[in-house]
Amino acid sequence: MDEISIVGQVVGGSFGDIVIRQKAGTNLEIGDLMVSEENGSFLILQVFALEYGSQIQDKMQQMMSGVNLEQGIVDVNFYEPEFVNYVLARIKPLARVYRENNDVKIPKSLPSFFNKLRLIDKDDLKFLQKEKESIFVGHIRSGSKIIKEAEVWLPAEDVFSHHVLIPATTGRGKSNLVKTILWHLLDANKVGALVLDAHDEYYGRTGPGLKDHSKAKDNLVYYTPSHPPVGANRLTINLESIRPDHFEGIIELSDPQLAAMRMAFRKNPRGWISDLMKTSAVDAGMEPGGRAEFAAATLMVVQRKLRLILSLDVDEEQVIVSRHEVFDSTTRGLNTVDDIVRDIEQGKVVVLDTSRLGDEAELIVGNIIASKLLQKYKDAKATGELDRKPVATIVIEEAPRVIGEDVLKSRNDNIYATIAKEGRKFKVGLTAITQLSSVIPKTILANMNTKIILGNEMKQEREAIIASASQDLSEDDKNIASLDKGEAIISSIFVPFAMPIKVPLFEDIVKSKGSSPQPGKTKVF
Amino acid sequence: MLFAHLSDIHLGFQKHESLQRIEQQVFEKSMDECISRKVDFVLIPGDLFHVNIPEMRVQKFAFAKFRQVHDAGIPIYVVYGSHDFSPVSNSVIDLLAEVGYITKVTRATSNEDDTISLDFLVDEKTGAKIAGLSGLKVGKDREWYEKLDRNSLEAEPGFKIFLFHGGVSEMKADSGMDGDHMPLSLLPKGFAYYAGGHMHKFNHQSFDSHPNVVYPGTPFAGYHADLEDNANGQKRGFVLVEFDDVVKSVEFVEIPNTSYEIIEVNADNRKSDSINQELVEKSKDIDPANKVIIIKVKGELTSGKTADVDISGIREELNSRNAMFINVSKNGLTSKEYSITEAKGANKEEIETNVFSENIGQLRFDHPELLGDEGVKLAKKLLRELGQPVLVNEKRNEYTPRVRDNALAILGLDKDDS
Repeated sequence: MDEISIVGQVVGGSFGDIVIRQKAGTNLEIGDLMVSEENGSFLILQVFALEYGSQIQDKMQQMMSGVNLEQGIVDVNFYEPEFVNYVLARIKPLARVYRENNDVKIPKSLPSFFNKLRLIDKDDLKFLQKEKESIFVGHIRSGSKIIKEAEVWLPAEDVFSHHVLIPATTGRGKSNLVKTILWHLLDANKVGALVLDAHDEYYGRTGPGLKDHSKAKDNLVYYTPSHPPVGANRLTINLESIRPDHFEGIIELSDPQLAAMRMAFRKNPRGWISDLMKTSAVDAGMEPGGRAEFAAATLMVVQRKLRLILSLDVDEEQVIVSRHEVFDSTTRGLNTVDDIVRDIEQGKVVVLDTSRLGDEAELIVGNIIASKLLQKYKDAKATGELDRKPVATIVIEEAPRVIGEDVLKSRNDNIYATIAKEGRKFKVGLTAITQLSSVIPKTILANMNTKIILGNEMKQEREAIIASASQDLSEDDKNIASLDKGEAIISSIFVPFAMPIKVPLFEDIVKSKGSSPQPGKTKVF
Repeated sequence: MLFAHLSDIHLGFQKHESLQRIEQQVFEKSMDECISRKVDFVLIPGDLFHVNIPEMRVQKFAFAKFRQVHDAGIPIYVVYGSHDFSPVSNSVIDLLAEVGYITKVTRATSNEDDTISLDFLVDEKTGAKIAGLSGLKVGKDREWYEKLDRNSLEAEPGFKIFLFHGGVSEMKADSGMDGDHMPLSLLPKGFAYYAGGHMHKFNHQSFDSHPNVVYPGTPFAGYHADLEDNANGQKRGFVLVEFDDVVKSVEFVEIPNTSYEIIEVNADNRKSDSINQELVEKSKDIDPANKVIIIKVKGELTSGKTADVDISGIREELNSRNAMFINVSKNGLTSKEYSITEAKGANKEEIETNVFSENIGQLRFDHPELLGDEGVKLAKKLLRELGQPVLVNEKRNEYTPRVRDNALAILGLDKDDS
């Protein structure tokens, strides 16, 4: 090992908590990756804590500081300071890599005592081979240093069918990460995605976005409620597409309210919402023998909920209109759901601009599509055709709205929870983005086999993430807390160790890989 | 001022003589209506003919009628549709344009920067400005719309009409048309009227920045499913539009075609015998004389083959009672016992092999050569033979026996074997 590259030496500790002394003049950081050369293999280790070490006792150091501070003696220096005072780093082994075949194993032994360590470099990361149909998530990061030549690619089909969790607080690069992931999904048709875009930020209406991908025309479908840009679709969903069970687990409905909705649906499956909205609550008779008073009160509440959640009104011609134009009671949007599901089945990324919808309406729209999608995949499994379908993922922000503990306790399961629990069998997964992992039940968190952890200041959240990670992150609390914007840790059953990464800036990806107009002429007949 | 908008006439689609007569009558009635209503011009956005060069019979009556319209001083503006287009201007549309009976609207310039500019054609009498693009099969024309220089089109002042042939996603009323439609946002904004073709049912909707997007639908039938829709009460005809600086009214003019009867049977969880029985009973209840009869059997049989559902007897019986034409739809009929599952592959060859391999296990024959790998090989040979094209200068009465005898030889049979 080149003496110049040495950054520290093993001086003690135990497995999982090895102590090294930092070489003077180097500057170790939390999260730094180091290498300990062994026979035929090398260990990759990571710094998880830093502290001072000194050959001088504490009390003596404090007295020297007192002399310096209180008596104003300015020319005080330590004798051989780099020898006397130093930094101790606590490190943990992440992986053992065998040089011969680039095989990566979980380490089960300590590095040799007094072994000298160096920082990791690109040659140590040759095992990070891009396999077929993978998605790029970022470059390996050692502390805050980025190793540009070491790209991290995840097996797309495995990762998305086994669910992805992206825990992050605001401003830590969540949107940038999601855009980066979706950008790479557009490269091929191996994963279909339904993206509920609550902030209308992924397509790139006003700036760089997924629309700039060279295959966007073939693999990206964008729906927006108003003034769609050229080539985009108008998001209009006919009320006929909505069933009473689409509301379950999304909004609070009492049993009588749900019964009223189901009854209306039974009477008129296509126009049940219009019927309910236009029915005079006072005149409504539930069924022969039904209690009219109960029905009237129930109906009024149901009408109010439908009106508020779906932003519906009845116009002077007794036609149901939607204030944000997403829902239609006439002939528009009859095939929107089928079209979207078919696109996802073809491995396309479908982005729905739900920025004009309220929380619940957005979830209901997602619910309608996800329910149909899951059913189709279940049918495909029954007929033996599932293998030929691409993996499908539902990208949802603020995931606790639908898979939070309180939601699942107080209401019936909704489609998102169902997918989280059993979607994997049918190649349908969730990509859940949240600031509050702690409110998602442990059973669901444990099912999310890939976690791309961005910075998080809240201890409670970090603990929930650490407790459910696929690798042992028990010592990474400080590491996660100190993650800067765009820095992340990937904990997944599909990576050999918890990988520290830096997600590139999406704008840079667009600049380097975006589509550029092809010169030439198109023949028109 | 007034213009007519027809589309998807599909002249030459019908193969049965009685339906050919109706096809011609409906077309002629529509044109006569345009003449009698003194329209200023007629728009036909595609699929005027079912193929680019239809048989001479069709060309003769089309030319005769278009000449009448021309002599009445009514210009006809058209774009190619997905059925009658020709990349080398080798279509009867071009012939009609050459003699001056119709005018092709598409005036496109392909620019060096790979954009496409469209020029307007101005109707002399009304001053209406008309631009348009032809339609290609399975939405291949989408690329043109993506490259369209919209700014110049949208900036043009005056009363503007855009002719196009293609499905618009926002106006789809039926499922299907997979990959054969485009978002409305691809059409240039701000025209007064969007004359659409390709969707076979009348549909008129307005959207912000795209008012009056209209499909008149087919006046009779361009697909077999259209006859079924007709039998179910679908109104057929064309559209009349009154306008000055703006569109004042859009009126659907119905052109009656013929009478229909429909016999529908749900085959779900049933056996072929009971379906055959129901077909017989239902056929007794109708008066088929001089009507188009639609027989539709749909669902999943519990056992047996779909071929066991026997239509031939009912067909004979209905014909004996002077049915004009009998259209049988068994596309939606499957059987639990035997249903074809799809298979994927890297190429046509591989797909064929995989489909046969996946499905051959369902077959029960006493001949081992028809099963397993041998059976797959045999099926592929047979498929290849049956897909042989007609040779140059080969007549149909030579082609059919040639393919039949070769296919029998593959099966090790003689045509006299029974």
